[in-house]
Amino acid sequence: MGRRAGSYPYYVEAAPPVDVNKNTEWFMYPGVWTTYILLLFFAWLLVLSVSACSPGIAWTVVNLAHFAITYHFFHWKKGTPFAADDQGIYNRLTWWEQIDNGQQLTRNRKFLTVVPVVLYLIASHLTDYKQPMLFLNTIAVLVLVVAKLPNMHKVRIFGINADI
Amino acid sequence: MVRLPYVTALTTLFSYGLLFAFGQLRDFFRRILDAGKSSNLKGYAPICLGLEDFYTRRLYLRIQDCFGRPIASAPDAWFDVVERYSNDSNKTLHRTTKTSKCLNLGSYNYLGFAAADEYCTPRVIESLKKYSASTCSVRVDGGNTKLHVELEELVARFVGKPAAILFGMGYVTNSAIIPALVGKGGLIISDSLNHNSIVNGARGSGATVRVFQHNNPAHLEEVLREQIAGGQPRTHRPWKKIIVIVEGIYSMEGELCKLPEVIAVCKKYKAYTYLDEAHSIGAVGKTGRGVCELLGVDPADVDIMMGTFTKSFGSCGGYIAASKEIIDHLKHICPAHIYATSMSPPAVQQVISAIKVILGEDGSNRGAKKLAQIRENSNFFRSELQKMGFEVLGDNDSPVMPIMLYNPAKIPAFSRECLRQHVAVVTVAFPATPLLLARARICISASHSREDLIKGLEVISKVGDLVGIKYFPVEHEKTASVEKLKKLQ
Repeated sequence: MGRRAGSYPYYVEAAPPVDVNKNTEWFMYPGVWTTYILLLFFAWLLVLSVSACSPGIAWTVVNLAHFAITYHFFHWKKGTPFAADDQGIYNRLTWWEQIDNGQQLTRNRKFLTVVPVVLYLIASHLTDYKQPMLFLNTIAVLVLVVAKLPNMHKVRIFGINADI
Repeated sequence: MVRLPYVTALTTLFSYGLLFAFGQLRDFFRRILDAGKSSNLKGYAPICLGLEDFYTRRLYLRIQDCFGRPIASAPDAWFDVVERYSNDSNKTLHRTTKTSKCLNLGSYNYLGFAAADEYCTPRVIESLKKYSASTCSVRVDGGNTKLHVELEELVARFVGKPAAILFGMGYVTNSAIIPALVGKGGLIISDSLNHNSIVNGARGSGATVRVFQHNNPAHLEEVLREQIAGGQPRTHRPWKKIIVIVEGIYSMEGELCKLPEVIAVCKKYKAYTYLDEAHSIGAVGKTGRGVCELLGVDPADVDIMMGTFTKSFGSCGGYIAASKEIIDHLKHICPAHIYATSMSPPAVQQVISAIKVILGEDGSNRGAKKLAQIRENSNFFRSELQKMGFEVLGDNDSPVMPIMLYNPAKIPAFSRECLRQHVAVVTVAFPATPLLLARARICISASHSREDLIKGLEVISKVGDLVGIKYFPVEHEKTASVEKLKKLQ
C-alpha cells in the first residue's frame, strides 16, 4: 500500500494467548472475526457473479456451504494437524471441543453461534420465506446451533463419530 | 505484545485460509483418486493419520528451501551456505558443490565461540587426545572424568549456586529433569510461550499443568491463587508442590523474563521457581551470568536454574544448578544422568575454556570485550531496525530480535531475497510461532563487526522495502546518522 503523509494504517495489538493448542490459538488473535465475516461476504459475491441468481438464492447457497464446511471442520473432524507436539491429547476432540481450552460461553463461542443464526435470517428473509429454501436453511441452522450448545460438549449421539 | 496494521492481520488470515482451503481440496481429490486403489493394509490400521502431516505436505514442503539450509563452514560472523536446487517445486532439494559466502545473522553464536578460538581450541584438541571423543558410558559408570567434575564446580560458581549437574543434550535437560522434580499431585505453572522441551517435560511428569499468559506476572498471580484455592483435581486436596517455569530469554520473541516480579509472586504463594536460561546464560549480564545479573535478582532466590552450553559457549549439552540436596537427588533419580551417555570430554573442555575466557581467568580481558561487544552490537542493530520502520520484538540487551513478516508469502520472499544478497537469516512461521505472527529471527554475535552489521542493515532495509515489511513510519532524520557513521569508518 502506498504510504502518504499523515495517513497511517490502523494498528492493533496481538498478545499471545494462554491457549497452547496450535489448532485453536489462531482464533484468539485480532482480525479473525472480521476475516470470517469478509469471507462469507466474498463467498456471496462469488456465488452471485458465477451463477447470476437472485441475492436470496446466493445467500442460501452460502448458508448451506457454510453449514457443510463448518460442521465438517468444527464438529466432525477430530485431532489436530500438528500432532507431533501434543502427544495425542486432542485426538478424540473436535475443534469445537478444543477451542478456548474447553471453556464454554466464551466470546468466540458466542460469535461462532451467532453467525449461522444471522446467515439464516438473511437467507430466509431475502428468499421471502419460500420453500424449499426455508426448510434447508432451517435444518442447517438447527444442526449447527444444537451442535454448539454447552450441553453437547463431548457428547456423541448414539455413538456417531465416537471412534478416533 | 505485537503491534500490527489491521489490514495486515486480515490479509494474513485470508492467505492462510486460502492455503488451507486449497490444501484440503487437494486432499479431498487425492482421497477420491486413492479410494479406487487396493489397500495393502490387510486389516491393519494406518500408522499415521493423514491429518497429522497435512501441514508438512501442503504448506511446509512448498517453501522448505527456506529452512534447514546446509552450511559448509563454522558458523562464525560469515560462513558458507551450500546452494541447492529443486526440479519438482521443492518436494525434493538437491545440493550442489557451490557455496556462497553469507553474513551469518541466524546462528546462536552469541559470544563467537562457534568458530576456532585462540584459547579454547588448543585445549579442546589436547583433551581430545587425552580423553578421546566420547566416554561411551554413563556418568554413574565409566563416563565420569576430571573434566566433568571440574565443569560442574565451575558452572555452580559461575551462576552463583551451591552445586550443578551436567547433561549431554540441552533438550533433555528440560524434558528429563522436570519429571524428576515433580510428579502426581504437583502443579506446574508454565509460561504460554515456553520451549517445547519444557512442554514435553511438564506433560511427561504426571503433574497438573497450567499455563499463564506470556510474561504476565499479574496473570501468574491470578492462576496461582485460583489453583491454590481449588486444590488438586476432584479431591481438592492441597498441592504437594508448585513449580513456576519461565525462560530467561524467549527464543522466538527475544524478550527478557520479568524475573523480579515473578520471584515476588512465587515467594508470596510459596511456589518454587525454575528458570530456563538456555539463551540468556553467557549472552546477557555484565559478566555473562544471565538474566539474574542483568535484572538484579539474587541467584539464591531462584530455586532451579537451567541452562545450555549450545549457544554462548559453542558446545553441546546443558546443566541444572540448584542446592546440593536437589543436585544429589537428581544424580540418584534422573534418567538423563543414569542412562544417557555422558557429555563428550572435548565438549566439556570447550565449555570450561569458554567460561574461563568469560570470567577473565585466561589471563586476558577478551571475555569482557566479547560481552561488551555483543551488548553494543545488539542495541545498535535493534535501534537501527526500529528506525527503519520494522516491527522488532524483544528487549534491549537481548541478542535475539525477531523482525515481523506476518503474511505467509513474505516468509519465502524475505528469506530468498536476503540469501540472494548474501545475508543468511532464519525465518520462523506457524506452528513454531502463532499463525498471525510469522517472523525472521536475527541473532547477533560478538564476532560481528560494525561493518558487518551495517552491511546487514543495508540488505535488510533494501529487502524490507522490496517485500513490504516496514509497517511503521521511518525516522528519516536519524538514518542520516548511519550515513555519518559510515563516513567515519
